[in-house]
Amino acid sequence: MVSRIIARPVNRRTILKSAAAAGALQIASPFVISARAADNIKIGLDNPLTGTYAAPGKNEEIGCQLAVDQINAKGGILGRKIELLSEDSTSGDAGAAVQKARKLIERDKIDFLVGNVNSALAQAIAQVSNEKGVLHIVPGGHTDPITGKDCKWNVFRVCNTTRMEANAVSQLLYTKYGKKWHFITPDYAFGHTLYQGCEANLKKLGGTITGNELTPLGITDFSSYLIKARAANPDVLVVLVQGNDMVNCLKQISQFGIDKQIHVAGTQQELEAVEAMPPEARVGVWMFEWYWKQAGANPGLDKFVSEIRKRTGKVPTARTWFGYVTIHAYALACEKAKTIEAKTVAKALGDMELPDDVKCQPNKVYFRGGDHQLMLSAFIGELMSKGDGDPENLFKVNSVVSGDSIAPSVAETGCQMQMPA
Amino acid sequence: MIKGRTSRLLVLAAIWAALIAAPYWMPLFGGYTALGSRVLVLALGAMSVNFLLGFTGTLSFGHAAWFGLGAYGAGFCLKWFALSSPLGLLAGTLLGGIAGTLLGALLVRRRGVYFAMVTIAFGQVFYYIAFQWSSVTGGDDGLRGFSRQPLHLGFTTIDLLNNADAFYYFVLVCFAAAVGLMGFILRSPFGRTMIAIRENERRARFLGIPVELHIWIAFSLSCFFMAFAGALYAELNNFADPRVLHYALSGDFVIMAVMGGMRTFWGPLLGAIVFVVLQDYLSSVTVNWMSFIGILIVLIVLFFPRGILGLIRQRSAA
Repeated sequence: MVSRIIARPVNRRTILKSAAAAGALQIASPFVISARAADNIKIGLDNPLTGTYAAPGKNEEIGCQLAVDQINAKGGILGRKIELLSEDSTSGDAGAAVQKARKLIERDKIDFLVGNVNSALAQAIAQVSNEKGVLHIVPGGHTDPITGKDCKWNVFRVCNTTRMEANAVSQLLYTKYGKKWHFITPDYAFGHTLYQGCEANLKKLGGTITGNELTPLGITDFSSYLIKARAANPDVLVVLVQGNDMVNCLKQISQFGIDKQIHVAGTQQELEAVEAMPPEARVGVWMFEWYWKQAGANPGLDKFVSEIRKRTGKVPTARTWFGYVTIHAYALACEKAKTIEAKTVAKALGDMELPDDVKCQPNKVYFRGGDHQLMLSAFIGELMSKGDGDPENLFKVNSVVSGDSIAPSVAETGCQMQMPA
Repeated sequence: MIKGRTSRLLVLAAIWAALIAAPYWMPLFGGYTALGSRVLVLALGAMSVNFLLGFTGTLSFGHAAWFGLGAYGAGFCLKWFALSSPLGLLAGTLLGGIAGTLLGALLVRRRGVYFAMVTIAFGQVFYYIAFQWSSVTGGDDGLRGFSRQPLHLGFTTIDLLNNADAFYYFVLVCFAAAVGLMGFILRSPFGRTMIAIRENERRARFLGIPVELHIWIAFSLSCFFMAFAGALYAELNNFADPRVLHYALSGDFVIMAVMGGMRTFWGPLLGAIVFVVLQDYLSSVTVNWMSFIGILIVLIVLFFPRGILGLIRQRSAA
């Protein structure tokens, strides 16, 4: 083979062809390194842009980008501009997510890592960031161990833990609706820890569980589970499934008329899912991790909502807020530490309280130094079938509970934080 | 004119030179060492699938099961039993290889699409075991809390964890050993028998070759190679999750083998390079990266059924 190529006389066509190929290579070279300013602070976002979690992943990116633009408009962090490098982690492939984290850290030399929506991927990439000593904020992966028994000096989390979600609604459901609960739980890590949290709370309050229906991820037909749930005759039907499963489950609950007989409720609910439901399926008591429409004047909130509306034409969701808070918290910590060196910034971020224009909500919001968990409020209320005052206002907030009142103590989380010397 | 043998040696030398120098030339094109390690590991997986598909003519669509068992085996070993990277590799290879050998005895009685379907079924059994048995496997969160260990060579210690280049060379040495063994088997009389079965099974049977036994042995060897690749994958990522057992990954391996050129020895390596690098690059550029990879696969299957390497061979032979 090689000998033939070597022996073949070079003719005009060969030269032309290879010239064209060389030219094409310049444009289509698989790794085009765009010129980047050397003194920029680089933030890597390793989040799903494809698959089941594409919508929340995209919203978190929008929130991050808004914060980056705002900070750059004010002169950047410590006088240096910041840039956001976004990579698709996929929704469930931990191998791909880890590879992307390595790419951002090793090749792009980022100073700060953000990710991931999926709890399992968040844990996997936290291991990489810890190994490399890069500061890392998890914007939206809920499973407990991230700021619990697997907590790390460089990893912080913005969204709630599953235990906080369970605690936020348990007391209310028990006193308001009754003590016999029936669960519909997604059959994987997130669902299991969320169920355990609810179960423990209910036991403590003195209630009983009439059953727990474990549903495979991604099913469309909930009828057999719903019939069983109705036959058990509980006071409350607690729906723990998420995303598209939630949409399908609530649709069928309203078709069966179960919401007329039993109180329907759940823990975490997201605006992305609610908007995808038909009006009659929007029922029940839920918790939002953040909601865009709040009582009382809050100029920071109004500005955030109008900026996001200007960019996307839609209101921000909790996911948009997670992204926004993540970047602003990092910038504030760097300014406080007067450096971007990871260990010093991590120390500055522990116990840091967020200012009004960042937190966009009434209660005190701060990172807890002991487990690096953000103490954010829970918005508890009811879904509305039609938008009230605004087509996107689909949730009536009854109470805003502060984060430290629902979070288990640091000792209870099982986290033993070890800061490096 | 240089004789065929010399030219083959030249090509081999070029391949190995490129692989050995990879950590030095890749950054010039925007690559990074971890990407190189990933290419090698997945290429070894694709070559193991091709060992069965290209040289015995048997398509397994559940090979990720043995890959995944290898990954979990390495993980269990590093987490609970022994803090040693080579022992982890050995444990993974044995777990996946032995499981594959035992189940292979049941599988080899089926042919063609039935064989492919049964392999998928067995693969999914392992996927759901890993998914449901949370207390042991970590369930959907994956098996975490282990990491590759420094390599003690007696006279010196190599830090595999923090030195990406050192780990790349560790993977390269493992890759070379496995590929060398694979090439040796294929050149042996047994390897020739495999090709005879691929070309004409009935004729091979009439010649007195115990066809089932040979396919079983080929399948088992392929499982051992696959599990070895899986164990390397676990040490590359420092975790294992159920997705490494899923049939979607089996599909990826088949695609790499077909894209690069099944029936050729080095084709799957080329396929893995194209697949992994393209995936890595396109997914940073556009969220629709899967469509582009899909289009490429369709084009290759339609126009170059012998794969990229097959096309090059055809060109140079013409």
